[in-house]
Formats: sequence, C-alpha cells, structure tokens
Amino acid sequence: MVNRKLRLLPVLILNTALVVITCVGITLTVRPVQAAEPSQKTEQYCLSCHNDPNLSMTLPDGEKLSLYISPDKLAKSVHSPLGIECEACHTEITTYPHPKIDYQNKRELSRSYYLTCKKCHPANYEKTLDSMHAKAAEAGNLNAPVCTDCHGTHDVQSPDKPRTRVSTTCGQCHSDIYQQYKSSVHGNALIQEDNPDVPVCTDCHGVHNIQDPRTALFRVETPELCAGCHANEKLMSKYGLPANVYDIYKLSWHGVDVSVYQARWPTIWHTSAVCTDCHGVHNIRRTDDPASTVYPGNLLATCQKCHPSVSPNWVGAWTGHNEISLEHTPFVFYTQAFYTYFTPLVLWLSILYVVLQIIRSIVNRARRSLQ
Amino acid sequence: MSVLNNTLANARVQTERIFQRFTPAQRWEHAILLLSVTVLLLTGLPQKYRTAWWSLQLITTPDRLHLIQQIHHIAAIVLTLEVFYHLIHAIYLLARRRLSGDMLPTWQDVKDAWQMVRYLLFLSKNKPEFGKYNFEQKFTYWFLFFGIGIMVVSGFILWFPVIFTRVFPGGIIPAALLAHSDEAIVAAVFIVIWHFYHVHLERLNLSIFTGWLNERETRQYHPLEYKRLSGENPDTGESK
Repeated sequence: MVNRKLRLLPVLILNTALVVITCVGITLTVRPVQAAEPSQKTEQYCLSCHNDPNLSMTLPDGEKLSLYISPDKLAKSVHSPLGIECEACHTEITTYPHPKIDYQNKRELSRSYYLTCKKCHPANYEKTLDSMHAKAAEAGNLNAPVCTDCHGTHDVQSPDKPRTRVSTTCGQCHSDIYQQYKSSVHGNALIQEDNPDVPVCTDCHGVHNIQDPRTALFRVETPELCAGCHANEKLMSKYGLPANVYDIYKLSWHGVDVSVYQARWPTIWHTSAVCTDCHGVHNIRRTDDPASTVYPGNLLATCQKCHPSVSPNWVGAWTGHNEISLEHTPFVFYTQAFYTYFTPLVLWLSILYVVLQIIRSIVNRARRSLQ
Repeated sequence: MSVLNNTLANARVQTERIFQRFTPAQRWEHAILLLSVTVLLLTGLPQKYRTAWWSLQLITTPDRLHLIQQIHHIAAIVLTLEVFYHLIHAIYLLARRRLSGDMLPTWQDVKDAWQMVRYLLFLSKNKPEFGKYNFEQKFTYWFLFFGIGIMVVSGFILWFPVIFTRVFPGGIIPAALLAHSDEAIVAAVFIVIWHFYHVHLERLNLSIFTGWLNERETRQYHPLEYKRLSGENPDTGESK
C-alpha cells in the first residue's frame, strides 16, 4: 500500500503543478488589466478626503457639485476590485492640491468624462458616435446620454445583471415608453419573472449604436427583427407560440410589399403594415388579451388606422397568420383547392392534346409522301 | 354568304371563293380582346412575380410599380367594356331571337371530341366533320369566357376591396387575389399552348383578322359549314 502511494507521488505532484499553472494562467488571461498586487493605494489616498459626505464645491454656473465618493459603492463597482483606480479615469488629477478645473456646470463635466471611457473601451465608444444619442447631442441637446448616464460613474456595474437593469436604465429618460413596456407581454415577463427570453430595450434597439427607430429603414426591417425570436422554433415552442407567423406574413399582401421594399428601396417610406403597426410597439400584449390591439374585438379599429372607413367585414380579409385551412380561411381554401387541380389539369390536357395532334399530322404527312 | 363566281370558273380561270366567317364587329372585338389581354398580362405578371429578377428589372422604383398598376387598370377598363358590349349584344340578339347558336356547345361536340381522340390515337381513320365552329374552337371560346369572367370579377374585388367588403365577407379578398393570380396563369398557358397551336401551327388561320376563310380551308376544316353555305358536297365539290 505504502509503496503504491509513493509510486503515485510524482503523478500527484505533476497534477498539482498543472492545476496551479492553469489557475494562474486563467487569472492572468481573465484579468489582464489587474496589477500584480492590487494595492488600491491611490484609491485609499483619494478617499482620505473624498469619503467626507460634506465635501463639495460650487461650479461657475452656481451648481453645487458633491465631491463625496461612497467607499462602499466604489468597492462594489466593477472597476475598483479589478484594481482600476481613480487616476485611470481622472487622468488630469495627479497631484494635490488639484489643478483648477474649468467646467461651467455638472453636465459639462459629465460630457467631458465621456472621453476617458474611450481609453479602455474604444470599440463601444466608436459605436456611440454613430448613435441616435450622439446625433441628438450634435443637434444641441446636451442631455443626450453619454457612457456614465447609462453605466453609472463610481458605482459602474455590469449593465445587464439583472436583465431588468437594462430596461430601468433606459426608463430613466424614456419613462413613458418604459411604463408602456412594463405592461406589455415582454416587459411583464421580464419584471415579474426575470424571464431570460423576452427582449429588453437593447435587444431591439441595439446597444451603443442605437439608431432612430422612426426611419423607413428601421420600419422595413421590423418584421425581420421580430422574426429573430418569433421564427425561432425552439424558443417559441417553449411558450406554446407558433413559429411560422413570419413565414405566413411574408406571403400576405402586406408582407410581399414589405419584402419588395426591403430588397429594393429600404430607405423609401412604405405604408404596408409591419408587425408593430397591428400588435403595437412597446405595449405589445398577448393576442388573447382583451386589451391587445389584435384581440378580435379591437381588430377593426386597428385596421382602420391605415384603412379608414372600412366596414366590419374588412377584418375577415386578414388571414391572421393562419395557414390556409377550411376552418380559418374557407374562401381561400376552396379557391386554392380548385386551382390545385384545375391549373395542372388544363396545362397537361392542353399539352397532351396538342402533342397528339402533332404526332398524327406528322404520321399523315409521312404516309402521304410514302404513297 | 358566299362569293360565287361561276362565270369566271367557266372561263377556266382558277378563282378562289371566300366565305365570310366573322363580322367586322367581331373582328374588332377580337382585336380589342387581344390587345387588352396582352397589356394586362405584361403588366400583371411583373406584379405577380414582383420578387423575381426580371420583374425587378422592370419595377425599379415605387413610381414604376404605380405606373404599371395604372396601365393595368386602364387595360382592365377596356377589357371590361368589351365584356359588357359582348354580353349586352348577345342579350339584344337573344331578345330579338337572332342570336346565332353556332357557338353553343351541343351533344354533337362531345361526340366530335370522342371521334377526334379516337382519330388522334390511330383508332379511327376519319376526322370528325365540323360545322362553323368545331369543338376545339367552342372550347376556346367558353374557356376564355369563364376565365375572363373570373379575372374581371376578382380584379374589381382587388381594385375596390373596401366597397366589396361592405356587402361581402372579407374572406373574398385573399381568395380573389389567389384566383386572379392563378386564373391569369391558367388562361395564359391555355392561350399559348392550345389557341396558338390551333391558329398558328396547325394552320395559319387569320380569319379572325381578315373576316374570311378561303374555299379550300372551309371545305377541309369546316365541311358541314361548306355544305351549308355552298350547297355543294365538300368531298367532291359537286352540287347536290
């Protein structure tokens, strides 16, 4: 027994060494920015003054700027535990007394710190320059968000943990839309059940390069956007929803029109209905919810948004994402059944009859020439 | 109705007798039908196959699509007027008991068709003898009569869906779209295969444009009509 244990010793040592090397390797790859020994020396040095809740200054515009940094919040942020310290962002403050700052107000200060994020997150920074928010800022709206408005400052957290954080973050400014979203089938499942499948704002609008959703391009791509989840068989079966709604839509009057515009003229405004025109945008509800815009009782009013003055019979023209069937679409069903047989029958009988005539006339001619 | 020229025939000059087959009004009707249906097909097919490459070459802008639809609608009005003229004219003749029964399907047509199939399958040596309109021509007429009926009705449902759904259930709209789309193909296939073979390949029959058919062809293809018009036996050319 002893001998056997001894014989296994080199193997054990080798294994232990491997495990240690792997662990060190993982630590090094996962945390490349971390200093070998997170000393947090600067942080503690700064906090020796900035842990005073009463520390503040008055900006030239008259706004009072609190200079208090909660050590607690800082410790819970994603940066501080990784050893990313104060001077990583506050690059201009390296000495005490601090150099004089020339921000007129708090907003100017926030906007100027936009650039410090770029240092470590250049890709996301570049994306924001192409966003709706950047365009709003260019147009003069300085309240348009910069990194810190969504991600926080000293308390910066993982933006999607929990997922509800994404929607509440956007809701800080887009409060009306957030209220609508909360009551929708998607928002409700997110907030009530922390559902991992329903879309949060960024799933449809994108993250850093958020585009204007009111453009012709966004509109024409809407069906594909919804199809991202609603044509996913696996995902839809989880909720007992059909995954063929997109395919059937594409065959419909609206869908054909939209697909032509998408292929040819994506930037020209088109008026054929896309998903959101009937189902709603942020306020989408289950189709069997009496408050849904596509609940049978509300369907006429929904159609009338685009087709004013149509009669109640009009709603019957919509095949309702149903495959052609006797139950749902009897008129189309019988028409299709008729042409399923009629078209090939006419085609093949015509061909057969004409071919027989050609053969007979060739034979007749051959016989005549032989005589 | 025949143009007889016995004096010249006696003078041993070979003259061709011609028999009037269609009135000028009927020839105009066919010309209008041909033109309007051609335009309707040319403007309708790119709409039906609007995602196909050849359609995309034609419909390059939304304005082009709109233009094509307008041309389609104008041709549709022409065809509809033609259909109305045809029906009202027939009703007028019927009321005056002057409507010719030549185009009405009869039991004889069924027998002719059966005989023709036997002939084509080499089961019989004789072709059936036809009157003014043979069963093939009657079939063409009635097939397109109902086909155009379906196209006109479904076309107007698609053009004025809001008005139609005031009275009829909404389900007729997608059904009309399907019928309009499918019937157009059926009619086009039928015209190209069946009608074009009979009037262009089997023999070049331009009587619907000229209005007349010559003696030889009348005798060969419509012997019973020849007998009725000339009073002669089509096989021998002799008077009875």
